[in-house]
Amino acid sequence: MIGERTVTLVGTRAVAVSREVGGITILFGQILRALLPPRIDGRELVKNLHKMGNRSVPIVALTAFFAGGLMVVQSAPFVKRLDATSLAGWAAGYAVLREVGPILIALMFSGRVGANNTAELGTMTVTEQLDGLRALAIDPIRYLIVPRVVSMMVMLVCLTVIGDLVALVGAAIVAKAVLNIEFGIMYGSFTENLTPHDFLHGVYKSLAFGWAIAVTSCYFGVTVRGGAVGVGRAVNAAVVAAAVSVMLIDFFLTYLNV
Amino acid sequence: MTAAGGAPRELIVFRDVHKAFDGKPVLRGMNLAVTKGEILFIIGTSGVGKSVTIKHLVGFLRIDSGEIWFDGKRVDQLDERGFYAVRRRVGMVFQNATLFDSMTLAENVALPLRKHKKLRHTSALAEAMGRLEQVYLTGFTDRYPAELSDGMRKRAAIARTLTMEPEVVLFDEPTTGLDPVNARRIDRLILELSRSLGVTAVVVSHDLTSIFSIADRVAFLYQGQVHAVGTPDQLRASADPILQQFIQGQSSGPMETPGF
Repeated sequence: MIGERTVTLVGTRAVAVSREVGGITILFGQILRALLPPRIDGRELVKNLHKMGNRSVPIVALTAFFAGGLMVVQSAPFVKRLDATSLAGWAAGYAVLREVGPILIALMFSGRVGANNTAELGTMTVTEQLDGLRALAIDPIRYLIVPRVVSMMVMLVCLTVIGDLVALVGAAIVAKAVLNIEFGIMYGSFTENLTPHDFLHGVYKSLAFGWAIAVTSCYFGVTVRGGAVGVGRAVNAAVVAAAVSVMLIDFFLTYLNV
Repeated sequence: MTAAGGAPRELIVFRDVHKAFDGKPVLRGMNLAVTKGEILFIIGTSGVGKSVTIKHLVGFLRIDSGEIWFDGKRVDQLDERGFYAVRRRVGMVFQNATLFDSMTLAENVALPLRKHKKLRHTSALAEAMGRLEQVYLTGFTDRYPAELSDGMRKRAAIARTLTMEPEVVLFDEPTTGLDPVNARRIDRLILELSRSLGVTAVVVSHDLTSIFSIADRVAFLYQGQVHAVGTPDQLRASADPILQQFIQGQSSGPMETPGF
């Protein structure tokens, strides 16, 4: 019967999602436990900060530049119609700092860094390299996972700050090119209409996004089963889980206006 | 059972160990004792539970019932953290070497030195070079695992395990997939470890040449239990038809092998 099948399907999916959420929660608990006391492997931390952060700067800057410009292009008809050039900076800046910047950069980060992290940890899992660490009496959570989680959180915040600045520059350049608004007017519009809270709201969000991307990507990496096919599935699941987490967290943090 | 009452004189004891995967029994009341300093080979057909047996000792798998003792202490009930103390004394060399892809051989060997001996990276690397020299890998220390042969990777994995200065080393099929020359080099390393350092070696293998050249004792696993145990000569002289079928590599005989 269709009814029975539907109930079975929904039930199976619900159990699967509960299992993943439970697993992610347990991993998060293990990460917190491994941070007490906070003995992070320095070499792993520096390596990951560089790989995840420095190498992401070009793609983040490119995305942010056009995201900022896009806000101006979208608002251009209204700015022209109302002759509200002094508000062009506010429109672009408000959207970029609070929403578009953190979300776009987080999704870009998830696709580039989170997926890579899942694939790397997943490959290490299926080739027994994690068991190899355990056999050497080295805790994989403390040695491998903690530096990655810390690196992703720190670097997503840094990249968001850089991205915000580049987006505002992008907005100013596009405003000059499309609407012929002088840089000084845009600068004034930014400084008069935007508050530090607008900027910090986005930064707080990026910290939470970084945590979500890090924990989900690590979880799906270390729980891979089934060789190369399993790694592919895990990367897919990690990217989807990270995107859903980012949108959910964004909704609640925006609602709470942290 | 208390440690005092049931503490075996042997270094490692498996007592009535049962283990099933998805309801399919693999170990069915397995009993085995390993004496300090010996080279014990665990042999048997594929899937009989040889690797499963040794993985229980270091906590990679959990038994369903039974007991495992190490040096007079019961270890099968330890949690993951509790097993770290065991793993510092019982090293394991995996079938696939499990070197870390992203590190050179020297960095691989230096890692446990940094972590457990608290050496700085440069000092750990210097000591790692020496360790790799002992397994005849001088000149390959700055190479990545993917650039090396299976035999080299296995020797590097042995060097990495030895940095822990373990009392026991578990070898999971150390010569499988190697050419005869490299296989005998691994045998020689295991023998040197045992004779010069007094390390107890438990070797999972079905390499008959290794078994009959370096084993002190051999345990033959069949249908989830130790079917026969003794010196290589005793096993060779045994009249047991199942054991003889395995030793002589005969495709037909009394041995029941799943899948055939």
